Amino acid sequence: MKDLRISRRALLRGGAGVAIGLPWLEAMAATTPGSAGKPPIRMAALYMPNGVNVSAWTPKGVGRDFELSPTLQPLAPLKDKVTVFSNLWNQGSKGGDGHYVKEAAILTCNTIKKTPGADISNGVSIDQLAAQRTADATPLPSLELGVTPVAIGVDAVVGYTRIYGSHIAWSSPTTPLAREINPRSVWERLFRAGKGTSANAAKMDKLLLDRVLGDARTLRTQLGSSDKQRLDEYLSVMRSMEERVERSSQGTKRTWKPRAAMDPKFLPPERPESHAEHVRLMMDMIATAFETDTTRIATFMFGNAVSNVSFRFLEGVTAGHHDVSHHSNEEEKLKQYQIINRWHIEQYSYLLQKLASMKEGESTVLDNSMVLFASALSDGNKHDPHRLPILLGGRGGGRIQSGQHLVYGEDHPLANLYVSMLDAFGTPVERFGDSTGPLAGLLRDV
Amino acid sequence: MPPIGSPKVPSLDAREQFSGWVERALQATACSDGIKAGPSPIRRLNRDEYAATLRDLLEMQLDVSASLPADGAGGEGFDNAAETLFLSPLHSEKYMEIAKFAMDFAAREFKPRAKILIARPGPGVTDEQAAREVFANFLPNAFRRPVTDAEMLPYIDLYRAARKAGQTYDDGIFFALRGALVSPMFLFRREPINDTGAERPLDGYSLANRLSYLLWGSMPDELLFDVAASGKLHEPEVLKELIGVMLRNEKSRNFANRFVEQWLHTRDLSGTKAPDAALFPTYAASEELRSDIRLQPVYFFREIFLRDESVLSFIDSKYTIATGGLAKHFGIKMPLKQNQAQQPHWVEVPEGSNRGGLLSMPAILAVSSYPYRTSPVLRGAWILEALLGTPPPPPPPNVPDLEDSKSHTASKSVRERLAQHRQNPACASCHSRIDPLGFPLENYDVLGRWRDTDGGQPVDASAELMDGTKFSGPEGLKKVLLDRKDLFVRNLTAKMLGYALGRGLTLSDSCTIDDIVAQVKKNNYSSRTLLEGVVLSRPFRYQAPEGKKQ
Repeated sequence: MKDLRISRRALLRGGAGVAIGLPWLEAMAATTPGSAGKPPIRMAALYMPNGVNVSAWTPKGVGRDFELSPTLQPLAPLKDKVTVFSNLWNQGSKGGDGHYVKEAAILTCNTIKKTPGADISNGVSIDQLAAQRTADATPLPSLELGVTPVAIGVDAVVGYTRIYGSHIAWSSPTTPLAREINPRSVWERLFRAGKGTSANAAKMDKLLLDRVLGDARTLRTQLGSSDKQRLDEYLSVMRSMEERVERSSQGTKRTWKPRAAMDPKFLPPERPESHAEHVRLMMDMIATAFETDTTRIATFMFGNAVSNVSFRFLEGVTAGHHDVSHHSNEEEKLKQYQIINRWHIEQYSYLLQKLASMKEGESTVLDNSMVLFASALSDGNKHDPHRLPILLGGRGGGRIQSGQHLVYGEDHPLANLYVSMLDAFGTPVERFGDSTGPLAGLLRDV
Repeated sequence: MPPIGSPKVPSLDAREQFSGWVERALQATACSDGIKAGPSPIRRLNRDEYAATLRDLLEMQLDVSASLPADGAGGEGFDNAAETLFLSPLHSEKYMEIAKFAMDFAAREFKPRAKILIARPGPGVTDEQAAREVFANFLPNAFRRPVTDAEMLPYIDLYRAARKAGQTYDDGIFFALRGALVSPMFLFRREPINDTGAERPLDGYSLANRLSYLLWGSMPDELLFDVAASGKLHEPEVLKELIGVMLRNEKSRNFANRFVEQWLHTRDLSGTKAPDAALFPTYAASEELRSDIRLQPVYFFREIFLRDESVLSFIDSKYTIATGGLAKHFGIKMPLKQNQAQQPHWVEVPEGSNRGGLLSMPAILAVSSYPYRTSPVLRGAWILEALLGTPPPPPPPNVPDLEDSKSHTASKSVRERLAQHRQNPACASCHSRIDPLGFPLENYDVLGRWRDTDGGQPVDASAELMDGTKFSGPEGLKKVLLDRKDLFVRNLTAKMLGYALGRGLTLSDSCTIDDIVAQVKKNNYSSRTLLEGVVLSRPFRYQAPEGKKQ
């Protein structure tokens, strides 16, 4: 009976929750920040589910002379560092269901395949396209973060696996990237990645990775064609890990240096007490990752598609996020919807201000970043994919002409913004999704 | 979506009649060649399977699942579907960390250490001989099938490299075994490729693995490996016997827990469906009560299969799972076992207490409510999807959600507002099916406590089906559901087959489902017949030839 007791509790908590603890202090070897040099460009995308109260979103005025809307008010201190876009959309998200087809494609500008899972298909997301081309510049190629685990099950009502609604970062059309939701794990991961590996440990790790790659190659010869693809995923992540171990162990020859030190006394909780605290901690992680230059690319999901996280912690809100987004044009619900939208903008503003407080020579980390804020719906009540709420924070190293409200003709490709961002990031592309060129009026020529 | 009230919209019934006809025609064609096995894709161990396998392999009481990202679901809605078990860079980092952590732990602890270091160098035994013995013992366990010399030698090389780098015998062994824990041979479940061009029975080890990951969510034990080696695993009587043995093992709780939580969606209780802490402070404060509530359907499920009760018990039953905490929560006296009142256990449902079947369980009633109030629509939709396997179509966008409408006078009840909703033709076709299944449960609050009044008004638990059948309350609802028991049994069978195969079901699998359902009905809805039907089915025991897509 005693055993039963243990398993009950273990079941309840979803595991006895043994953390893989690092010998923390031991790992605190002092790291000296690297020399200044030309600051790198960073790129992040923050995704908000369920759309916006449109009437309180769109700013008045066009160009530099615009007035922040009620929902965008929290951006007031940074108005000249932010760009607001109106009338962008993702053509690939037309049709399909209310949420998944739009939200899974927010960074891929593709059309996902309707499936409960067997033949999942999307495009490569803009963050991963950039990460694949800059993978060796930083200890981590990219960070995928969230606050809620992947949504459970298949949405039998519309016939899509909820995996679609739980991932915005896709490294291939068939591979969504898992997100980290435990702030302490993220922190430890950043720390370890920045610290690098001792030559001896790296040597052992390489022996080990070599061995398992050997197993994978043997196994691969014993598989049918569709299974080979799955094993190639394994080969690919293990190989890139081997390369990272290689790079991080070169001691004084290591070309990467942290641009700032991490605070060794800071230890974020594993399970934050509230949704609000959880989101804030993840914003801190992005800021730390960018300041130290542990990675230059991050994506963050405030929630999964159709998220019904309760926002009753906000004064005036009585229901969950998705419920409120179906406001039926009732004044009371629209008001709640706007309060929730505004709360998200406050978190976004918090991140931007934090990046702005991080000096890099004459500029700040925010000046050298592009932080996208996006929802894949405008009016959630209608599941409207037109006129998406899209913001860009930061100046992309001076390339972004921020401080504007840019208004385009109806149904202008969101993909054009991504073409411009990839250009400013230093990984230009001819086309992306349904793009027709760079986004007019955004980039300063070089 | 066409405009509301458009006369051109075919009615839901007409559409379903048509699609039902198409499906039956396709199915008849697929079944005409007899039942076929499906593909046997390679699959990564999911988070829970990985943690349980590591625990059983090393005999250490540690659960590392919290260190890994959760897995999404595909197929029939479970997180063990081969096609949706992706591998991210995050996984590879965690696998490396956990392997190191686990082997460091194993090196320190007596039990795992003894289990691994079965040989040491000594008089007449060289280091290499001892190491070879260790690997020959460990690797087949870790890889869950016999391991050839060619597969083992590289691990001996790895051990040698560690020794060359100055490590001791013990450290070298644990280091090389760390490699085994990151190998795809450990991380993936795979079955030998079938290149015979024809269907064939799975090899014994593959079948042992399928059985063990189905019933235990973990690797096979020594007994299963032995039966696999004997070549007798395919014999129906052996399989039936093993099902009983394996269900009685504590490890079958993994099966009950994972299947039930995903089938009935109760995993969401600790996520977005968590009852509001401000409105339900007792629930939020008591870990004991939350645990009792969450585990009630899980234990119920396991007992039903252990005792070979009817699968219709899920709809209504004379027995349920109770604890002292649950009895108190219900406010009724229950015939609890005195010495184990705190442990969930099988008890007779007191007469007239409305506590039989799944639909009386707080976990179900909460997960099909809003966190702050009950909803006949959500509960009705939950029954259609989870129990009957006939999910309603999505609501058209931009139609007023009358249930919560403030534009109507506050005095109107949810029922009155829904009645208004159903007058709208765009809404009626679905809501006239959904709502009547939810109203009878209005006697239960969000946490499943009985109530006769709600907001000062007497609860009206009456409902009327589209065909005019009138009924009321949970007992009336259960009768209505029992009239549709074939839908329920078919749905449960499909779910279990999908879970057992760990992949999405195909048209040809529907012939297997038909076959199992027929056996279950013939055998008085025996739950054991259902489970045996799944395990003995052709798709579970055979593999299709490679290259032929189903």
